[in-house]
Amino acid sequence: MTFERAGAVMKRYDVIVVGAGPAGLTASIEAAKNGLKVVVFDENAKPGGQLFKQIHKFFGSKEHKAKMRGFKIGDELLKTASEVGVEVVLNATVIGIFPDKEVTVNIEDQLIHYKGDAIIVATGATENMVTFEGWTLPGVIGAGAAQTMMNLHSVKPGNKVLMLGSGNVGLVVSYQLLQAGCEVVAVIDAAPRIGGYGVHASKVTRCGVPFYLSHTIIKAEGDTRVTGVTVGEVDGNWQIIEGTQKYFEADTICLAVGLSPMSQLLKMAGCTMEQDPKKGGLVPVCNQYGETSISGIFVAGDVSGIEEASSAMIEGKISGIAAAYSLGYIDEESLVTKAKVLEASLRSLRQGMFAPENRGKILDKTEEGYDISMNLLKRGYLTEEEVESYPGVKSKKGIHPVIECSQNIPCNPCQDACSKKCILIGEKITSLPVVDKEATCTGCGMCVAACSGQSIFLVDESQEEGYTYITIPYEFLPLPKKGDIGLALNRSGSEVGQAEVVKVKTAKAYDHTHLLTIKVPTELGLKVRFFKQLQEVLV
Amino acid sequence: MRIIEHPILGESIKGKLIKFEFDGKIVEGYEGEPISAALKAAGIMVHRHTAKQDSPRGIFCAIGRCSDCVMVVDGKPNIRTCVTPLTEGMKVQTQYGVVAKTV
Repeated sequence: MTFERAGAVMKRYDVIVVGAGPAGLTASIEAAKNGLKVVVFDENAKPGGQLFKQIHKFFGSKEHKAKMRGFKIGDELLKTASEVGVEVVLNATVIGIFPDKEVTVNIEDQLIHYKGDAIIVATGATENMVTFEGWTLPGVIGAGAAQTMMNLHSVKPGNKVLMLGSGNVGLVVSYQLLQAGCEVVAVIDAAPRIGGYGVHASKVTRCGVPFYLSHTIIKAEGDTRVTGVTVGEVDGNWQIIEGTQKYFEADTICLAVGLSPMSQLLKMAGCTMEQDPKKGGLVPVCNQYGETSISGIFVAGDVSGIEEASSAMIEGKISGIAAAYSLGYIDEESLVTKAKVLEASLRSLRQGMFAPENRGKILDKTEEGYDISMNLLKRGYLTEEEVESYPGVKSKKGIHPVIECSQNIPCNPCQDACSKKCILIGEKITSLPVVDKEATCTGCGMCVAACSGQSIFLVDESQEEGYTYITIPYEFLPLPKKGDIGLALNRSGSEVGQAEVVKVKTAKAYDHTHLLTIKVPTELGLKVRFFKQLQEVLV
Repeated sequence: MRIIEHPILGESIKGKLIKFEFDGKIVEGYEGEPISAALKAAGIMVHRHTAKQDSPRGIFCAIGRCSDCVMVVDGKPNIRTCVTPLTEGMKVQTQYGVVAKTV
């Protein structure tokens, strides 16, 4: 490594942004839009942070880019960033922040000094790990590694995968593994309840993946690589209960056990830090605009507390605007007005069962007073009796949506998707969707494709005597064809009979979510929620 | 191990198919993809053995953070194979401690 003499060629920017993920990019865009000269450094070869590995549809509402897939949001951000003149420098690792906002960056083994008038740190997070016997064996990987391999490099992380961790990352990655053509042998978690959204769990369960809560890994088996894994049930003190050992054949163990803020640069810069378990670890103390204890150093995204990309993008906007204000590019009134709107948007995402203040709490009722399904939290699916108790499930003549959405999560694209106003969520985006029995469903399927949780189905008992037609969201290959006969699976992924494909609908507006209409005997109409192709079974 | 067509991402777009060397054997991979991706696709999982306990290691984080996947590449040890692009004729060797095994 060579060191350039400080001062000799020190380049100056209004704002130096560290990290080109969702928070860093939105921050840079906002700052550049307000006339600031912005540079973004990122240690990776490609910008976008983790966005390009996120192939699922996002939650939230329209303003949060809900129902858009993560990688498309990434494309959009990069396009905007280049339009507004943001300079993105890749393969550039920021290794230090010094007094007077001097930043040192390692680029091609050279240490280069830059000077900013403001700095926005958006370094994101790093994956947590757990140790067990055999954890260093090839085949034990982070959930992020699985996403990187399959979604960026088109290589399967393994053929038979065991997922440790049932938070949203574990659930989403399990589903993505299935989409990539891997088998997920089980999702296990030492916690007694599934940590992520019930809808994410349900879409994995109905494909036949079993959940083992209160279970942990005892040992990764294999000499030079993982060949299997032994798990066991834990008691209230996290100790293995003798005799509960189970063995799974697997070539890959995926760890999805949480994230920690990557806040080392801020600590080094001298920002006041605090340990906050609700934020995932060591985070900088900052004000409502993301400004740290050092004036002119801002933060946005996971580095200031683990959340997800949607909130990171709003925080990025806020810090970008705040940086513009701190350098005198906009006045206070403009800052306050803009921030107010963004803060409201952020608040709407931070409501509901999974809100930061509810972390670790056991809730047994929804905000509306419906019972929260313990079966969903322990096994990953709603029972038939439970399903019928929610306001999105109404029996009705003719085609109608059945919305199996039972937790208060910040999401409302289904309401916007229905032009016939069959679906009502209301102002508060965490409310459970209510199906209006009086409104007329045309069977367009927009709600099915729009539901990021894949929890909307169309049910029609009026098509054919003795049969129920069920339309399900389908995101796997090969795509079944009309006339195909396959297995009808229920919510728990168990085979309950045969199903015939009567229609396959694909549309640009559905964005790769195909609508598969299958017919099953009427008595199975409320049970069947997935279709398994026969050739897949025979292989 | 390669995903040819993905339900959401479509057909995978890869660069030129090239040959490289892994421990003396000729292996194929795509130009520009991480060395580790090419090895994984070829079914190779052990990247190195640790110095003290000779324990096998492979890909762990896949984003250049953990250093578990380092190998000897073109004679240089400790190369993070998950963030180093593959090039034609590259010589990749299993790393023992910090060196390649001398034959």
